[in-house]
Amino acid sequence: MELLIASSSVADAGIGCWDLESGAEQLRYKSCASPPHGLACVGQRFLASSQLREQPSASSGSILYWSWSKPQVEVKSLPAEPIKPIAANSHGTYIAGGGQSGDIYMWEVASGRLLKKWHAHYRAVTCLVFSQDGSFLISGSEDGCVRIWSLLTVFEECESQRASHLYLHSFTGHTLRITDIVIGYGGVSATIVSASEDRTCKVWSLLKGRLLRNIVFPSVIDAIALDPAEHVFYAGSRDGSIYIAALNAESPSTSSYGMHIIGSLSDHSKAVTCLAYSTGDLLISGSEDGMVRVWDPITHNIVRMFRLAKGPVNNILVVRRPLYLNLGSFSNPHTSSRRHGSQLPPPLDKYVTSADEDVDNKGVIRLPSLYNAPRDASYISHRTIDNHLKELQQQGSSAATEMEVERLKHECNRTLQMVQQWKKMYENLHEFCVNELLDGDQVDGSKRNAV
Amino acid sequence: MARSKAASKKQQKQQQKRGVDFKKIKRKLGRKLPPPKNATNTEVKSKAIVLPEQSVASEKAGLAVSKKGLTLKELLQQTSHHNSKVRRDALMGLKDLFQKYPAELRSHRYAVIEKLRERIGDDDKVVRETLYQLLKTVVFPGCKEDNQGPFVSLMVAYIFNAMTHLAVDVRLMAFKFFDLVVQYYPPSFSLYADKVLQNYEDILRKNQFYLEDKAKLRSALAGLVRCLSLLPCNKRKVDSSEENMAGQKILHAFELDMPAESSGFSSITKKLKDLVPVLVNCFQDFFPSVHHMPLLDAQSFDCMHSILQSIDLVVGFFGYGIHQGKPASQLSYEGPDEAIWDHTISSLLLKKLFGVFPLNPTNHLSEKTCSDSRSGKAVWEKHILLLLPFIPKLVLQVASDWKSCLLQAFTKIFEGCNPQSSLKLACLSAIEEMLIPGDDMVYPDASDPLFEYQITWIRALPQLLILLGDKHPSSSQVVLHLLLRLGQCANSSSPFSREYENMQYSLDKFYSSCVDRGDVYYGPFIRLSWDSQELAICGLYYFSNLGPFLLKSIAFCCLCSELEHLVLFRIIEVLHSAFSAGHIQIADYISFFMTLLSRFKVLPENLTFAENIYPDVESDAKISNRGTFKLLTNTVCSCLSRIGDDSLVFQILEQVIFDQLLLKPPLDNACALLRVLVVLDCKPTRLSEQGIITLSKYLSGCLNVGSCEPSCIPEDDEENSLPTHQQTCCYYMLPCFFLFDRSPKLLKLVLNLMGSLITESSSSPSSHSYTQYGNDNSNQINAVVSALLLMHKDTKVRKIISSFKEEVVHILQIIHSLQVKFLVTGNPENGLAVITYTYDLSGRSQVTSFSLSG
Repeated sequence: MELLIASSSVADAGIGCWDLESGAEQLRYKSCASPPHGLACVGQRFLASSQLREQPSASSGSILYWSWSKPQVEVKSLPAEPIKPIAANSHGTYIAGGGQSGDIYMWEVASGRLLKKWHAHYRAVTCLVFSQDGSFLISGSEDGCVRIWSLLTVFEECESQRASHLYLHSFTGHTLRITDIVIGYGGVSATIVSASEDRTCKVWSLLKGRLLRNIVFPSVIDAIALDPAEHVFYAGSRDGSIYIAALNAESPSTSSYGMHIIGSLSDHSKAVTCLAYSTGDLLISGSEDGMVRVWDPITHNIVRMFRLAKGPVNNILVVRRPLYLNLGSFSNPHTSSRRHGSQLPPPLDKYVTSADEDVDNKGVIRLPSLYNAPRDASYISHRTIDNHLKELQQQGSSAATEMEVERLKHECNRTLQMVQQWKKMYENLHEFCVNELLDGDQVDGSKRNAV
Repeated sequence: MARSKAASKKQQKQQQKRGVDFKKIKRKLGRKLPPPKNATNTEVKSKAIVLPEQSVASEKAGLAVSKKGLTLKELLQQTSHHNSKVRRDALMGLKDLFQKYPAELRSHRYAVIEKLRERIGDDDKVVRETLYQLLKTVVFPGCKEDNQGPFVSLMVAYIFNAMTHLAVDVRLMAFKFFDLVVQYYPPSFSLYADKVLQNYEDILRKNQFYLEDKAKLRSALAGLVRCLSLLPCNKRKVDSSEENMAGQKILHAFELDMPAESSGFSSITKKLKDLVPVLVNCFQDFFPSVHHMPLLDAQSFDCMHSILQSIDLVVGFFGYGIHQGKPASQLSYEGPDEAIWDHTISSLLLKKLFGVFPLNPTNHLSEKTCSDSRSGKAVWEKHILLLLPFIPKLVLQVASDWKSCLLQAFTKIFEGCNPQSSLKLACLSAIEEMLIPGDDMVYPDASDPLFEYQITWIRALPQLLILLGDKHPSSSQVVLHLLLRLGQCANSSSPFSREYENMQYSLDKFYSSCVDRGDVYYGPFIRLSWDSQELAICGLYYFSNLGPFLLKSIAFCCLCSELEHLVLFRIIEVLHSAFSAGHIQIADYISFFMTLLSRFKVLPENLTFAENIYPDVESDAKISNRGTFKLLTNTVCSCLSRIGDDSLVFQILEQVIFDQLLLKPPLDNACALLRVLVVLDCKPTRLSEQGIITLSKYLSGCLNVGSCEPSCIPEDDEENSLPTHQQTCCYYMLPCFFLFDRSPKLLKLVLNLMGSLITESSSSPSSHSYTQYGNDNSNQINAVVSALLLMHKDTKVRKIISSFKEEVVHILQIIHSLQVKFLVTGNPENGLAVITYTYDLSGRSQVTSFSLSG
């Protein structure tokens, strides 16, 4: 059910895609040279990756989209500056990108609009992570700073003007470049682990906004992965081993690696560059020698190995296989490409559009109904909603007139009844009077007759 | 009227007199007079008589007594004596008693405190002071560990009573008492905050006595500061708790809530609000008097400082971390009415306080000139130290003319003070606050007067670092941390980036500097602690263009034998990161590594050998660092292979390495250089033609000198059997084998050269004496043969070597002919030596030829 996706910094390697259960290689997506943290799966609908610049003279990098069914690049966006790390929230509504100048860009996927761009760090952003519920964005930078952004604050203009700074917390404990960040479950009270080139990993509390634990490793840590139960985390180091560090209990200080480090997984390979944890209790590591290794974290053995490229593996993702993407579509890419042909969203904008324009352009996100439903229909423009509203208003007024008519009719009936009643009364009275007169006459006549 | 009355009295008196005179009293003998009607019956009837003991004489054995022999009960009674001296003596006695018998205090503490509290409002000053000392030194420390709530509540009522006493002295003293209570039992402030603040407000309003009784007021204000510092808001407090948390052992532990920390404070906001204007007024009242004085005296300075601190704390409490005096719009989340109040307070502060405050530094400047002449410098420094933390905030707020004045004064202080002093540290922290752009990330522009000063400060930092040397690790650490922060912020858009870049030219002395040719002077870096070194190394990463100048200086540091090897590897790691981020030129980067590998001084295991080779090495550095060097070689290799395109790197490296090899470096370094070549090379070799020839010359040269081979290592034959030794041999030979494997041509050339070298040396005996020649020659033969044997042992090389049968046979033939020659010339000694060799050799060569034929 799960797909393993890996990309490399070497352009001819592309993005490899394997079935994690069977180990069968799926489609290989072409021409992708991604930087670390530059690959994202957007809402399980398609793959997006930022690109390393081909030559240093090129002024801007690019972000590419691949649909599941086609190995070729389908959409190419050119942001204003080279973007290295990108991240998408779990629903795939937003893509965040970190620029070389320290800016963070936030795009809406469905429309490609650049919603917001803000200056986040002094130096280049090196990694970006969304929290599990998508309400926080965590960024790490070359200047060793980790910052937590609440999307609510970032987008609420009055909120952001009132506060002296946009970020929720700023952690400046690291002295060198941040290499990786992971966040655990638990919403606002989640635990954040950050790794840096200063050989340390630091555990932070999102709720309290402070350092919980500092772990010094024997070598630089380039990648971390969190155990689902958050008992331990795995740290892939440049010396080729994956260290296991404790997150909860006090570890015995006799450990040969250092404080809080329980053990290590190692097969004496080259530096570990990326890590991922699958729900099937497998740890997946990418190495500088171009191999992807699948470990059993309990027995510390390698279960599988995949070969991606000659160059270093940069990114590993573990995603659930989309249901509508059956295996047949891989074997027959032509038909499926026709079927899914133009379903990818438009490229991402370069600049923030001015405020008066986006009044009309606001998107409305419908809740995802089913996995196999085509996702791209879920975007409806703001205008549709406006029309709906107008219609609703109009419908409401006609109903009111109907009610008015009803009321008038009702009144008419009642008056008619009244008229009838009055008429009847008049007739009765008339009859009574006539009778009276006639009787009187008769009495008078008979009297007279009698007299 | 009065006369007539007096006359009538006189008459009455005369009548009475007359009556007494003539009255005859008759008494009968033997008869007693009856007792008067109001007489008292003095007879005592009792069965036993009990006499209470007198206190002085009483038996007090086993009871706790003071010096004067009084028990606790007696002393307590005496505390309410009407004579103040007795009261004081009683208190002294209590102190004495409790010091001697701490158990006494513990068992009777409630009784004691009930009695003592009555003395808080005592009229006599000396008694109060004694009581204060008693409580401070004995009672509170003694009762510290048990439940203090009821204990404190017993006292507080009396303290409040004293706070409203008519005598000002008593009142001020009461504040002091409360301060003491808070000191030992901090929650008491939150419990009684309302009343205490009210009292403070009252006393500060009555300003007529400020100027007379500054010492008292100072202590009272100090108490206020202590109380207010308990308000939950302090930024610094949060920082310190963060530090504590880092050491926490259990991550998700349940945390106890502190009782009544912030909950109780919501009710006192109004009181605090009222307090601030009073404080400000009070401060203003101080000002004119201070202004007229030629020299600020310590007491009024302390008072003013305390007032300022209090204001700072209160405003900090409202702002919850927002800086003092920031515009009210940012404080407005507390609700509409509070927002208005904040506005008023802001304007109050801005108008009054800041209008007044900037005069202070100028005051201090003038004072500086005075005090310099009057050697009151120590006092002055203390004052300045207290003032410094306020400067960054002031700079943000005040008008520009004041600003430049202020900054000038500050810079003058910063430059003038001693690098080791705490004043410098305070200056540094103030600078950090002003240099690192705050949350809004706005850099100052060049027109700002601040900018000019910032540049000055930045330029002073490296000098300061070098001045500090290695004697003041904590100060150095602060400077290094500041530099690191600066580097982190100094990206290309920041105005400081150029300053930071330029800093590398002045930082070299921090690492090391070349004084004369080959003479290296090491900077303080090497001897600093690990933390500081780490900070310094991390700072290197942020130079956007790390030039060869600084790299050279770092390389010298790395080569220093005193440097711990962990630091060495850390430097390489960080430099590699910097390189991959594009901060170092590739040529500089490679030459850095080449310098490391070719200049690293390896101290081998064998001590005698080491002393032979490096007579200049001190005898205490005898621990071998060969292992370190091996690791270093590996690290460098992996770094170089990570650069990217191997063949390009190889091209760059090839010539450099050959140049180094031709300089004949020590064996270890040569081997390391060869290893680098091998790592970057691939199976069909990338070596150029020219390169192969050079290399072959070198390798055979190595053999000639006898240094590339195991035979160079002394006592070869005995140790050769040891596995460790064999490992070293293999380690040295391995790169050669790889090269041979990849380029058979190289092997051929080397074999040819080996053969010709033997003949050359044997055919040119003229320069040497006969014996010498024989030794040399046999050594060489030995070297060549053992090299051949080693190659032969390695299965892979054996395969290759089998394709060069002629060359090997040629060498063997030469050796054979030499053997014959020796035997013929018949020098007995040499002959013997040669015979043993020949025996050895023939045995070996047979093996070789056998295997070759096979």
